[in-house]
Amino acid sequence: MLDQFQMFGNDLFLRGLTSSHGGNMSVRMGDRIIITRTGAMLGHLTETDLIETGLEENDSNVMLASSELVVHCAIYSNTSALAIVHVHPPHAVALSLVEQDEIIPVCNEGSYCFKKIPIIQTELTTGSKEVAKLASHWLREYKLIMLRGHGCFSTGPVLEEAYQWCVSLEEACRVLYYLRTLQQAQIALETQDVKAIEYRKHSDEYKSW
Amino acid sequence: MNGWTGKALRINLSTGEVTHEEIDHAILKAFLGGRGLGAYFINCEVSPNIDPLGPENLLAFCTGPLTGTTVPTSGRSSLSTLSPLTHTIFDSTSGAAFGSRLKWAGYDALLIHGRSDKPVWLEVNGDGASLHQAHGLWGKNIPETVVHLAAKDSAVVCIGPAGENQVLLAAIMDEKGHAYGRGGVGAVMGSKNLKAILAFGKERPVAADPTKLEFVEYEARKWISASPRTSQGLPEFGTSVLVNIMNNYGVLPTRNFQDGVFEQAEEISGERLREQHLIKRSACLSCPIGCRRLTKTDNEKGDGPEYETIYALGSNLGISDFEALIEANYLCNCLGLDTISVGATLSCAMELAERNLLETDLRFGETTHIKEAITDMAYRRGVGNWLSEGSRRLAERCGAPETAMQVKGLEFPGYDPRGMQGQGLLYATSNRGACHLRGNMLGPELLGVPKMLNRHATSGKAGVLIVMQHTSTVIDSIGLCKFAGFAIGDEFFARLLSAVTGEHYEVQDMLTAGERIWNLERIYNLKAGFTSADDTLPKRFLETPHTKGASQGKVVQLAPMLKEYYRFRGWDAYGVPTPQKLKALGLVDIAQEATNA
Repeated sequence: MLDQFQMFGNDLFLRGLTSSHGGNMSVRMGDRIIITRTGAMLGHLTETDLIETGLEENDSNVMLASSELVVHCAIYSNTSALAIVHVHPPHAVALSLVEQDEIIPVCNEGSYCFKKIPIIQTELTTGSKEVAKLASHWLREYKLIMLRGHGCFSTGPVLEEAYQWCVSLEEACRVLYYLRTLQQAQIALETQDVKAIEYRKHSDEYKSW
Repeated sequence: MNGWTGKALRINLSTGEVTHEEIDHAILKAFLGGRGLGAYFINCEVSPNIDPLGPENLLAFCTGPLTGTTVPTSGRSSLSTLSPLTHTIFDSTSGAAFGSRLKWAGYDALLIHGRSDKPVWLEVNGDGASLHQAHGLWGKNIPETVVHLAAKDSAVVCIGPAGENQVLLAAIMDEKGHAYGRGGVGAVMGSKNLKAILAFGKERPVAADPTKLEFVEYEARKWISASPRTSQGLPEFGTSVLVNIMNNYGVLPTRNFQDGVFEQAEEISGERLREQHLIKRSACLSCPIGCRRLTKTDNEKGDGPEYETIYALGSNLGISDFEALIEANYLCNCLGLDTISVGATLSCAMELAERNLLETDLRFGETTHIKEAITDMAYRRGVGNWLSEGSRRLAERCGAPETAMQVKGLEFPGYDPRGMQGQGLLYATSNRGACHLRGNMLGPELLGVPKMLNRHATSGKAGVLIVMQHTSTVIDSIGLCKFAGFAIGDEFFARLLSAVTGEHYEVQDMLTAGERIWNLERIYNLKAGFTSADDTLPKRFLETPHTKGASQGKVVQLAPMLKEYYRFRGWDAYGVPTPQKLKALGLVDIAQEATNA
């Protein structure tokens, strides 16, 4: 178990998807949760950074657990997820501040994996019941959501899959960022039309995914 | 109503009465269709204490909301009954065109109970059904029966001599080798004196949201055509692509699971099948994958064999003569027998013979008496009569129950669990016995779908298995093929379901329906007298490791996984769903109705 947390935590940090002490990860083991410690460094996790606590009933370890524990618990209670990753991918966070309801990838991998990523918004953005309620609601339908200005919550049956969606999200958002930068600068465009060339059939339906 | 028709056709074979019934929309929404709807009918109408071969038993052919649509792999339907082989609730799904025709005739369910005095066959169409005398058909094999009844805009399923003789390994089949294959469902049909069913239908269902369906279907086909499993492995080699893979992992059952590596696996591999025996590929209705094979030997041609048959009639019998194996498969198809249980029972007989506990000429590695033994099983002749009741009864009769490789009476498919801990848990907890189709741990433990897990690890497997069990239950219930799950996941299934039915299913709603169905099946089995002691494996898997191959030195560590499994499911320590769990799944009333029934 620890080796999985270490491998994916280190990779998330090295990829720049979270700051030195940001982000958190968890797995569900029946009615128990193993979650990273509050303030743990995802890039350098040790045994003492994994905290086990109850899904339905907190025990004393709750004060050591990540501040997002309430969100993780709500997600596990409302979905079939067995693993959750929460990080702050910079391009995705930036895009969440300019898009209204969802991010719609244009690259191939993002299109395949997500079609769209819903954006939710709350006043209290960290460890709040409001985030817990909204995130657990949207994750019944989608495997990944963005919390505006904050970061993503990603789910899967195993930690690797939840990790994968975070990486794919950031890549999709980086491509969107590059595309819009090119469009803004009108680089390599022969005409004044700054629209991207569409290569995907039914892409206009992605919003309804 | 879209997706579902809301209609069931009920046939009482004792009286000849045919009645049309409405199915409550809430039931369809909660249990989806197919396997789920069948589980609902069996729970409500069939006492688990009856004789499965008596007139009280029910044959519930159920279509899913996607059955017979344009959705990729949607040519599947389900048959539910009380199994005479396992005495569990049982469903068997099939790619037979019969399911689509039944749907196109306008029915979500065809419910058959009672027993006819004389052999009959049943004709079903949009107006109802009629019974016809089957004297001229009784005794005919599967192809002969289908040829006799075949008609335009229709499809036939029937039993062969094995079903007529109530062999507990008998299947219900069509002429292309599609089968409601396992659990002795053919014996139930035979016990009712019902030889065949012909379904006329051509009214294809209309989706509630055709635009959305076109989009989601397009995306699904993109994934199916991109996955190497569904676009290359299965189309090119069929399911026999697994022979060499399983052998390399040391999990190819060999000589009644006494080994996990077959020295001559190459001789019966998918590559060899393609090189020397393949005539052409074929596919079930609406399937872009096309894993089925039309094959030939020097003497015959026919359908198959599938991977499971190659293991059961090949490596597990120590047989590498592919011609003989393929012809044994054809023979089973003609007689209407489940090739997995036939092979596993023959391998049990061979081990018993090695130990001098059974007088038979059957020997590992020898093909001479295989066809004769299979025929004797179908006609219940000589030792074949003992074999016709499956490996558990055979081994018990010979005083060596440990030689039967089965769970809850159902023989194993072709994946030795000593090299796949999660698969071992799957077999032990499956509601119909040792089955590879009740959750797919082959994916995460050997093929990397959705992600590759350590196949020898036990921790965390319970949770992953439960997710897989719910997804597989959904697939069986909505009318798709498990192989679609190699390429597309739950989010696709939910959106296809929503687009076809017009009911909005969140992914989690759909998975909860899968959990509801799984728990309903569990409740039924508990009422039938099964306990946590039945959630186990043969001792061979728990105590005797292989001595060679990539899985040597391993046994299944079942106890800790099972404990974790019950806890993950919200069941008590005895494997009984708690009242809270039943309430959360909306099963309190239905569980009570089953008790009353």
